[in-house]
Amino acid sequence: MKQFKMQTYQNLIKRSGVVTRENLFNLLGKVQDEFGYVPREVVRDLALKTGLAEARIYGALTSYSDFKMIPQLDDQDERE
Amino acid sequence: MTKMKENKILTRRVGKYQPLDIEAYKALGGLQGLKRALDIGPESIIEEIKKSGLIGRGGAGFPTGLKWASAAKVQQQPKYFICNADEGELGTFKDKVLLDGDPWSVLEGIIIAAYAIGAEQTYIYIKGEYEKTAELWESLVSEAKKAALLGERILGSSFSIHLQVVRGRGPYIAGEEFALISSLEARRAMSKLKPPYPTEEGLFGKPTVVNNVETIANIPVILTEAAEKYRKLGVEGDPGTRLFSLSGDVKKPGVYELEMGSGTLEELINELGQGTKNGQPIKAVQPGGGTSALLGRDSLGCKLTSRAIREAGSGIGTAGVIVYQQGRSAVDILKGLLKFYGAESCGRCAPCRIGVTKMKEIVDTLSRGEAAADNLAQLRQIGKACVVASTCGMGQAFPLPVLSALELFPKDFETVIQKNPQ
Repeated sequence: MKQFKMQTYQNLIKRSGVVTRENLFNLLGKVQDEFGYVPREVVRDLALKTGLAEARIYGALTSYSDFKMIPQLDDQDERE
Repeated sequence: MTKMKENKILTRRVGKYQPLDIEAYKALGGLQGLKRALDIGPESIIEEIKKSGLIGRGGAGFPTGLKWASAAKVQQQPKYFICNADEGELGTFKDKVLLDGDPWSVLEGIIIAAYAIGAEQTYIYIKGEYEKTAELWESLVSEAKKAALLGERILGSSFSIHLQVVRGRGPYIAGEEFALISSLEARRAMSKLKPPYPTEEGLFGKPTVVNNVETIANIPVILTEAAEKYRKLGVEGDPGTRLFSLSGDVKKPGVYELEMGSGTLEELINELGQGTKNGQPIKAVQPGGGTSALLGRDSLGCKLTSRAIREAGSGIGTAGVIVYQQGRSAVDILKGLLKFYGAESCGRCAPCRIGVTKMKEIVDTLSRGEAAADNLAQLRQIGKACVVASTCGMGQAFPLPVLSALELFPKDFETVIQKNPQ
């Protein structure tokens, strides 16, 4: 899992084209897969881009067991 | 006694080609259905599917042709088509076989379906745990674009189609039609009251058809073979084959494709599954996944058709056959099931949210040997209330194993209650 950098996130968004409500769920998933969690800055940015309230996205995210809101330990970290 | 045989129609190509190799798929007779579909046009496709009598394989058993027809007649754009690959039901793992083993036929089905109802945007919603499958499908989509099967004006026709691969993120309920739709809208995965049905107001309020993977895999077969020929498979009112996921206390669990009505539950378990693990007789079977009612030993002779299983007192559901051998206590079986459903209720409607928690509490006290006699009556009462009052299929179905266990194995419950002097 990579550490979160705004630049990495922005590149990821760029690769996926325009942010719409139609691909929002997928994008959130990609962020989760990349960093192991969905940072608050990302929620804020995607809220602005889609015109949805930040609370609306945050509220949905926290209802999914596979979405994390804080950085997670890597398997490797755990072993060390 | 005749040996029970698999009839491989949907799984005939599984393992026969490299999943990303479209040429190999064509060589094995692939894309014939799509070619014919593009020739005959949307209306005739829907007629053909209706004539075939195909019934949805996702658990609810709705006629596919009717679903398509009601979405096709709505004059509104955009429309959406969703392939439901969020296979979450307990004891069900048949879709994975198709998604991994013969992905092109599923994709072919998606394209035909989208063309028939007039949807340009399609999704495949893959269960979160199937990570490798989702990766395979990402690559499959780029291969399909190269082969002009996805994108603008596919195969030289005037029809454009786009497919987004979406990975599920945990909840079991996301496999339910409306919950899946709200998940795609980046909302909580929750069910809602019907009508309006998704075919009228679905994803983003637009007409949407949601079909199960196995249902979709049937589409190219029907169009290649013609509906009349397909109808000859299986029995009247229940045509085709089904993929039975056999699991639980059997020696040889796995996915078996059987023609509808080609044998009995007992033959499936004892011949293909090679009997129970400890050689003991079968105690109970769930024929349609974790939410289907238990069937006792008396019902094992029941034919493998939706109707026969319904008449025996259960449902074919997702055709996930879970076997419990002699020696298992009904209380333990229910404890396991309710632990899962208790954690997975979406919480939208009160009967399911409160009911599942209460029932789990009672079964837990039972298994600790601390329950009182009136607890059984409570269990029955709450269960019945959930079946009547819940919004979606999960709340209506999770009490069924409990209610049937109370009928079939009263002794299992009595013994744990007698331990308690109160």
